[in-house]
Amino acid sequence: MTPKNNIVIGIIVALVVIASYNVDANPIEFVEGLPNLAIIVEEMLLVEPKYIPTALWAMFETIQMAFIGTVVGTAIALPLSMFAARNLNSKYVYAPVRALLAAIRTFPSILWAILFVIMVGLGTFAGVLAIVMYTVGFVAKLQYEAIEAIDSDPMDAVSSIGVSKWQLIRYVVIPESASHLLSQILYMFDYNVRQTSILGLVGAGGIGFYIINYIKFFEYGKAAVFMLVVLAAVLFIDWVSVKIRDKYIVKSQHGMAVSAK
Amino acid sequence: MKQIQMTQNSSFSLISTNKIIQMSDVWTSYDSKTFALEGINLSIDRGTNYAIVGQSGSGKSTLLKLMNGMMIPSKGTIKIDYVKPNMNNKKFKKMMHTIGYIPQSLGLVKNITVLENILIGALPRLNTIQSLLKRFPEHEIQEAKRIISLVGLSGKEERKAYMLSGGEKRRVAIARALMQKPTILLADEIVSELDHVTAHEIMNLIADAQKRMNLTAIMVHHDMQLALEFANRVAVIKDGHKILEIGVEGDNIVDFQTGDLNTEEIMEMYDNDPKK
Repeated sequence: MTPKNNIVIGIIVALVVIASYNVDANPIEFVEGLPNLAIIVEEMLLVEPKYIPTALWAMFETIQMAFIGTVVGTAIALPLSMFAARNLNSKYVYAPVRALLAAIRTFPSILWAILFVIMVGLGTFAGVLAIVMYTVGFVAKLQYEAIEAIDSDPMDAVSSIGVSKWQLIRYVVIPESASHLLSQILYMFDYNVRQTSILGLVGAGGIGFYIINYIKFFEYGKAAVFMLVVLAAVLFIDWVSVKIRDKYIVKSQHGMAVSAK
Repeated sequence: MKQIQMTQNSSFSLISTNKIIQMSDVWTSYDSKTFALEGINLSIDRGTNYAIVGQSGSGKSTLLKLMNGMMIPSKGTIKIDYVKPNMNNKKFKKMMHTIGYIPQSLGLVKNITVLENILIGALPRLNTIQSLLKRFPEHEIQEAKRIISLVGLSGKEERKAYMLSGGEKRRVAIARALMQKPTILLADEIVSELDHVTAHEIMNLIADAQKRMNLTAIMVHHDMQLALEFANRVAVIKDGHKILEIGVEGDNIVDFQTGDLNTEEIMEMYDNDPKK
């Protein structure tokens, strides 16, 4: 470790301490609050299994919301990403599209949910709309970055034939960025399931609606059933994502064990 | 029809007017400070098997990009089949459809099949809806399959491009260019990384296609021996200058500037810049 590195680490630690002081982040209070956590955990251990069917149904509803939000959001994001890619458009096209996408990303999904609850009322539809907006902002950004990272050689070779821009997108851009897109959709779906689980906080439906209400009324045993179902669902989705990634992304990128017809 | 024209060294020679590529005092620069090509004069007859030879960084790939309109010269004039390369010129844009270009990296789309890669060559003949829906007419698919058979890839139509060997990838790139029904075929060091046997197979494949379709093949090499073996005419590029242009007819090699030369003398000139 060089003296310069020590100074940099010292500055970072000092900044953390100053910022903690400014925001009243006091570790002593955390330690003092640990017994309260123990009380909550103890009450949560009194799991009430009769709520499992309700929790499973609420989780199913949440997954459906995340699924619709991810699919519709990606369908909107994909054409936007084509217009936002610098290697496909002039700055007069990509700059305003990027600005729009940045504006969409400014709000986290919970703020979109509040906006849509005001617009369409309480319930799952507001949650779906919030997930769609969040997915549009993020998938479009990740996808236009993937498009810009495409190898320029096939683009140049196919452009030299004199094909149209749409043909170039259809035959080079989409196939060459498809594995990235699949990876992003899986990540977004995984993320959206977790996000949808908390949209109930603002009345936008899903399993979070149950969790927040039981916690409000100090019924931690009932809340624990729903939280365990969320945990199991997220783990299951993560496992499925890994399998899909292995089969369609990792192996195709490295040319492993993908059989020819 | 023959006529007398001025050549680079201000001498006169008898050449045909049937020129498919004409370059006159062409200069190009990537950064507007240094020139990749300096004062290139070149004219290539239709139906020739032409080779451009030079070492890495000599400017030979740049020369090829000028021939398909992917680069515009900083100075000088280029005419491809008597048309100035310009992307905004409809006539040239149409001409691009029949200029097959194989870059050094081959430019294959790795995540689509061999058949799909080859059908890309037919895209200019499709309307937008057909191409977006991937609805290729049956005769185009049959033509692609005929070319696949011609380049020796039968049975591999449905393989993804990334699964192919180096030699197979080159065959796909050639097939895509042939699918364009080209009048000009440009290939940049297409055999440079291949073993001797595969390199000769690929070169024979191009030579056959060139004769069969009467197209003008312009190939960049760094191997002079290979160029002399397959080309009718060879231009040697060094540090952005054309230092030599020789015609090959059977065992006879003719240099248009210094008179008759034998292969050994040519090789010596290629290795050592004759200007020094």
